[in-house]
Amino acid sequence: MTIGECFQLGYVTKVHGLNGEVTALFDVDTPQNYQELESVFVAYDEKLVPFFIDSFDLKGNKAIIGFEDIQSAEEAEQFKGKKLFLPLTILPELEDHQYYYHELIGYTVVDTDKTELGVVDQIYNLPGNDLIGVMHEGREILIPLKDELIVKLNKANKILNMRMPEGLLDIYKEEDEN
Amino acid sequence: MARSLKKGPYIDFRLESKVDAMNDSGKKSVIKTWSRRSMISPDFVGHTFAVHNGNKFIPVYVTENMVGHKFGEFAPTRNFRGHINKKDKGKR
Repeated sequence: MTIGECFQLGYVTKVHGLNGEVTALFDVDTPQNYQELESVFVAYDEKLVPFFIDSFDLKGNKAIIGFEDIQSAEEAEQFKGKKLFLPLTILPELEDHQYYYHELIGYTVVDTDKTELGVVDQIYNLPGNDLIGVMHEGREILIPLKDELIVKLNKANKILNMRMPEGLLDIYKEEDEN
Repeated sequence: MARSLKKGPYIDFRLESKVDAMNDSGKKSVIKTWSRRSMISPDFVGHTFAVHNGNKFIPVYVTENMVGHKFGEFAPTRNFRGHINKKDKGKR
């Protein structure tokens, strides 16, 4: 299993107690979907190592996890700061108008007047203001990722039809001129 | 200490007048602003602002749940990375 075939569930923040448990932060929309986890991949550099879960206690987006064969705080220390991954195949299928952020990368953004703006290069997860970075005429432009601005999502052809805020491109043009 | 209620929220006068003019004309073009300290008022909902973060303009599309916050909260000045990994995050 490679990182490309997985999504990031969260990361281990610290060791919990003396019995080899760790505290992990789940960076997902719905942490409660993962209460029945049997195993998880831990990333060591670019390698994913599977670990079976012995005990699991979820509170909000934090979970106290006990891994099989890890019995002491010293052994659990190795997990500190490590990212946790799960296979993409376990993600629930979404309806046509729904999407995961990582799916949008590579989509072509098209304005309501059918102007092709460019291809989604990055997703910026900012507090309360998620943005997509689109490569347009050799530079990156940022567009707010809001339901109100998304007209249609064509998953088959990887096209994202958006209602671009009037004058947004002009701001980037002005920046270029300055 | 919180701002005195007597004074009301702080909104940059020029910014407010630009939004009022747009609301009157029905136009909704992007408004550039450097006033990160201005509070988002209910009149701003549906407008897009380009908020300066000291380096460049960050587009902010104002929705109802942003009302009462300051513009600066949505245009971070530091660690403008936030590059998302593959995550169980998205529109559901």
